[in-house]
Amino acid sequence: MALSLEKVAPGAGHLGEWYWYFSQTEKQPLQSDRTEIENLIARVAMKDRVAFDQLYDRVSAKLFGVCLRVLNKRAAAEDAMQDTFVKIWKNADRYSANGLSPMTWLITIARNTSIDRLRARKKGHQDIDTPGFELVAPGLNPEQAVVASSEASRLSGCLDTLEEDRAKAIRGAYLDGETYADLADRFGVPLNTMRTWLRRGLIALRECMSQ
Amino acid sequence: MTEQTDTPRDDDVLAAELVLGLPSEKDLLEGRRRMATDSEFASRVVFWQERLSAMTDDINPVKPPARVKKKLLAQVFPKTRVSVLQRVWLWQGVSMVSVLFAGYLGVQLLEMNTRPDAQPTVLAAQLGSDTSALQVLAVVEPVKHEIALRRISGEVLPNRVFELWAILPDQAPVSLGVLPDSETVRVLVPEALRSQAAEITLAISDEPIGGSPTGAPTGAVLAAGEMKEL
Repeated sequence: MALSLEKVAPGAGHLGEWYWYFSQTEKQPLQSDRTEIENLIARVAMKDRVAFDQLYDRVSAKLFGVCLRVLNKRAAAEDAMQDTFVKIWKNADRYSANGLSPMTWLITIARNTSIDRLRARKKGHQDIDTPGFELVAPGLNPEQAVVASSEASRLSGCLDTLEEDRAKAIRGAYLDGETYADLADRFGVPLNTMRTWLRRGLIALRECMSQ
Repeated sequence: MTEQTDTPRDDDVLAAELVLGLPSEKDLLEGRRRMATDSEFASRVVFWQERLSAMTDDINPVKPPARVKKKLLAQVFPKTRVSVLQRVWLWQGVSMVSVLFAGYLGVQLLEMNTRPDAQPTVLAAQLGSDTSALQVLAVVEPVKHEIALRRISGEVLPNRVFELWAILPDQAPVSLGVLPDSETVRVLVPEALRSQAAEITLAISDEPIGGSPTGAPTGAVLAAGEMKEL
């Protein structure tokens, strides 16, 4: 029994200057934002509580803004954001494999958590799940990820080139969690028409962003 | 990618619909399966996540009230103030092996406390996680600078290995090596880490045979725990 631990710490006079983990809260000088947030997530994946605290201070205002935008009620947004950070704590080890930039990953969790709460008020609700927690095929290499995440800022310009209703529908789905049925209702068109519209909108968006 | 403008949906549109949260249940399952098995498809999902998340660019940050952080930290790190022996006990869960081990450790502590000039500080960590069965106990031997590890539960996957990491605050994880597939193992603490041993968080990640090819953890973190003074 416990054969390998037969000499646990016999005497330890030199341990006096060791100090407790939580005394370490000073912040390091910032590197680039992306690297800084990526490092924090990597440390949270290792269950580093100080890093979790720092990550909260660093990104909670942006994520709270996103939760408020989707839910439009402070109490609900506070709950959604708390939930978001619990998920971040539990799933941070999945971040490194998913190829997303760190802010996109965090915002996606906040947005999806908020939309799940919004939809939970409706009947027949189905969680949209959180991409980023899913297992991702192992072949997604860093180069692919860089290509996928580069020039992401073109979106808003490209949304402006779409027919107005299609852009509104895509925004409605992303920011208000509207389903095809909701959108068909709002625009007063049959469901199939709505699907076709939105899919054509997405294809046009992709073409614009790939130029 | 081939353009199929005459069909209502190609892969890329499915990827975008997944990100928007629009697919039917059947398509959702299909999409998740594709994400896990098809790297080209997974990269299309990443493409859309990155681009569509730009819709949040003009959302202004709003400082959340302080009570949210307080509630969050209380939820994630529930406080358990317990005595050393209780803590040893709690650590072990209910496994008989563990209980015996706890008793053993207790005896060791008592023996050390009877020595007049010794001021022993025992550092130990319990490594675990919500998502994996792997549970490991680690105790630091200060004189030999060794960490004694005992695996309580969890099996290594076929053709994979466990790799042990030491993490100090604000620093990148340092590999302490690939663990052999045995219940107990001893690992030397690198000299550079010895003076800060009390601040180490230990973690075990799932890696390909031979260990991480990059020098940083590449697989899932299966278990992690902070050093605590007993």
